[in-house]
Amino acid sequence: MSATPMASTAKAPRMGFGKWLREHAVLIIGLLVIAYMLIPIAVIFVFSFNNPAGRYNFTWVGFTLDHWKNVFGIPELNEALWTSIKLALLTTLFSTVIGTMMALALVRHQFFGRRAANFLIVIPMATPEIVMGSSLLSFFLILGTPLGFRTLLIAHVMFCISFVVVVVRSRLIGFDRRLEEAAKDLGATPFETFRLITLPLILPGVFGGALLAFALSIDDFVISNFNAGTTVTFPIYIFGAFQRGVPVEVNCIAMILFGITVLAMGFTTWQQRRAEKMASIRPEQEEEVVPLPPVSAAT
Amino acid sequence: MGTLRRRAGAYGLLAPGTIWLVLFFLIPLYFLGRLSLNVNVGGVYYPFDWHWKNYSDALSLYDTQFIRSFVYSLVATLICLVLAYPLAYAIAFKAGKWRHAMLLAVVAPFFTTYLIRTISWVTILSDESPVVEVLQFLHIAPSGQVLATPAAVVSGLVYNYLPFMVLPIYASLERLDTRLLEAAKDLYADTKTTFLKVTLPLSAPGVVAGTLLTFIPATGDYVNAEFLGSSNSQMIGNVIQSLYLKQQEYPAAAALSFVLMAIILIIVLIYIRFAGSEALMGEEGAAI
Amino acid sequence: MGKTRMSRKRRRALTRVALAFMALAATIVLAACGGGIEELPENYGGSGGGNEVKVEGKPSGEMTISNWPLYIDKKTVGDFEKETGVSVKYVEDVNSNEEFFAKLRPELAEGNSGGRSLFVVTDWMAKKMHELGYLQEFEPAAIPNFEKNLADNLRGASYDPGRQFAAPWQSGMTGVIVNKEKAPDIHSVCDLFDPKYKGKVDMLNELRDTVPLVMKCEGVDVEHATEADWLKAIEKLKGAAESGQIRRFTGNDYSTDLTNGNVVAAIGWSGDAVQLQADNPNIEWRMPEEGCILWSDNMVIPVGSPNPTAAEAWINYVYDPVHQAQIEAYVNYVSPVEGTKEVLLKEEPEIANNKLIFPPASFTKKCSIQPSPDPKEEQTINKAFNAVLNG
Repeated sequence: MSATPMASTAKAPRMGFGKWLREHAVLIIGLLVIAYMLIPIAVIFVFSFNNPAGRYNFTWVGFTLDHWKNVFGIPELNEALWTSIKLALLTTLFSTVIGTMMALALVRHQFFGRRAANFLIVIPMATPEIVMGSSLLSFFLILGTPLGFRTLLIAHVMFCISFVVVVVRSRLIGFDRRLEEAAKDLGATPFETFRLITLPLILPGVFGGALLAFALSIDDFVISNFNAGTTVTFPIYIFGAFQRGVPVEVNCIAMILFGITVLAMGFTTWQQRRAEKMASIRPEQEEEVVPLPPVSAAT
Repeated sequence: MGTLRRRAGAYGLLAPGTIWLVLFFLIPLYFLGRLSLNVNVGGVYYPFDWHWKNYSDALSLYDTQFIRSFVYSLVATLICLVLAYPLAYAIAFKAGKWRHAMLLAVVAPFFTTYLIRTISWVTILSDESPVVEVLQFLHIAPSGQVLATPAAVVSGLVYNYLPFMVLPIYASLERLDTRLLEAAKDLYADTKTTFLKVTLPLSAPGVVAGTLLTFIPATGDYVNAEFLGSSNSQMIGNVIQSLYLKQQEYPAAAALSFVLMAIILIIVLIYIRFAGSEALMGEEGAAI
Repeated sequence: MGKTRMSRKRRRALTRVALAFMALAATIVLAACGGGIEELPENYGGSGGGNEVKVEGKPSGEMTISNWPLYIDKKTVGDFEKETGVSVKYVEDVNSNEEFFAKLRPELAEGNSGGRSLFVVTDWMAKKMHELGYLQEFEPAAIPNFEKNLADNLRGASYDPGRQFAAPWQSGMTGVIVNKEKAPDIHSVCDLFDPKYKGKVDMLNELRDTVPLVMKCEGVDVEHATEADWLKAIEKLKGAAESGQIRRFTGNDYSTDLTNGNVVAAIGWSGDAVQLQADNPNIEWRMPEEGCILWSDNMVIPVGSPNPTAAEAWINYVYDPVHQAQIEAYVNYVSPVEGTKEVLLKEEPEIANNKLIFPPASFTKKCSIQPSPDPKEEQTINKAFNAVLNG
């Protein structure tokens, strides 16, 4: 096309500042909002270097590396952190396995009760934590179950399952079944197909779900507070410490967790890209997966 | 024949999760209801008694906090919507290669413990912090006190639940077929009309999901009110927590929880009826 | 696959019926489940007597102590471990009597203490726990220092007249802490309601500290207060909270509001004030004109205590004036151990002469022992007060 509708740069009038502002208004607002979201993180980071005069870390006094050097120097904090990590690891294990199984069932199979199962998975995500926490507490109180690590684990797995299912399911939807069929045609048993083809390809999704479960578990406060009894997890420790002064080391540990999570997310995204290349399906594309006639129909 | 085996396989895969959720999510709700009908015998034990008075007491004693919670939550949700939509739009359409970085920035606050990032607002909003002084100068906070006010609590809610609004809206904007936008332009629509008639309606599922994911948890929140508020800005979550974990008034606490859940359920059902249910239960490609 | 529409509708109807039936069946089954808090606890009903510590030989092994935060210096635990050979895990997880009780109670009702050999709670809570049968009574022979050195004014206290189950850890006074530069004329708890200090005043979220002080400044004799007196004072607090006169109801964290300048005065505890003064000399604890509230936090040995012998050894150890002096120099509350002042006069005379730490009788003459509502009235009063806290 010779006459393009785009004006050449030589003839276009210089954009006034007002016009530039309007053009980029949305982007500027977006960046301002992002800045707003990152301010508290910056504050946490900065105050991890603070040297407070008293017990409370609310006003800046002076710079020190002492608390970073002594990050694991508070026994109660360490115990709480360790409890949280143990809890999160176990939660991740159980909820990822259970959630992946559910996702596979929901995506692959048409069966009676599928809609109900879908509904059952979505409701916990839409229930306020305080209702979940208090109903579990009521459950344990009436049954007389002692509160502690076990009840925490039950609660955490419960609310993580839904999230794992959603993440894995969105990965599974873009999955090309033809690869599995090809494997079957080449003589693989269903189990071998699963182990050698399906599992490696859905692994990034599973890993993403696991990561989400871990993050949710380690960060959970409300449900844990209700069901922990005298056990102390990291967030419960912080809540209790608020009144008497949160030690600076908590800021340091928060930043360490932050760093680890960022790395883990980066790793997952990288793995995702690799897996996509392997399966040669990109879920972001709008095209539908064209259903091929089954290979065996050639007969 | 194969169908039957596959069905059994499907049920087998589904079983552990379903059992866990039924056992530890649905059944506790029954016990919540049951506890709400128990009676508090001198703080010693709490037998079942069809004690409906718990509900009337709860509603009459704590109606202020209920209303307050819904108001704060609604205001916070609206503010989140106003902030999140431009951000989601920017990431989806204007960010180019910075898209992933911006998404990471949106999700980054999640990586710091919820409590710590709320506590950092105590620092940011303390009476002599530069932020508050600027706000005082701009007459937004004329008294120079932001902490221990409802404004602080609402701003905490906005901050903590903003990602829940951004991500669903972004997800639905990202799925938007840009060819539709081009078509609108070809039909001589200006930017504003394109937005109002094409983009906005198509992003509606994301907006619905985002508002629900923000409003629902915000209503039951109590951490923000605990750290940033005062006795005048306590929410129903604070009351429930106090009743359970401090006063040991279990039946009253259970009744309050149940009422909270019921009200939220009703609001959600009404909202979905108006807005459409695919947003929440999306089969193909969840909006989350 | 050939399913007709008719059959699908029928299936859906059948599903609904089946689900309803299952729900009904489940409810019936679940209704039979129960127990826990719905039933009277097994060891309830006595006045708590009968649980006695059986001291076995010399203290050994390990022990876990639960205490309030910042209530001990850094060396005492180590010194105790060296002297007795007991390995001590010292945990500061008591933040509030009620919350601690709520968390621990299910275990105590079963006769467990969650691994704790000893913990520290305020007078009224110690009495309540004893009445519920959750505490063990001391074996006096193993705690001679306690028997000998307990301050006279703490003997025969109403909550434990025979000193059988509660050994005071520290005592304290609740009064007003003011920034004397910004609020020079606050000398009474009633002054905190002065509108010119609106929003610049904190009060404690502890029922038995705040409300009795308000009652006192209204002229009520708190040790004989009626339910109506309590509720009237709570009404006054409610008005002040709603109008914004009271900035916040706090626990320990009034100290940060004071140091930050967020408030100019607060109801607070004597020990905190000594520490705050070190940071900011303008902050001082003032004895209210109508008198303060006197209380003690007590060491108690719970049922199911894993090592009661070591627990008693601990009590005996800290009731030695020399050891108590070491604790006192850091904690700055009121020592319950006779003879501590003499020890400190030699080493740290400013502490020995600080009337907040060793109050002379003339100083506390108008003070009242911390009252507790009558058990029958407790629930109503508690609810009313918490309704104020929760806005």
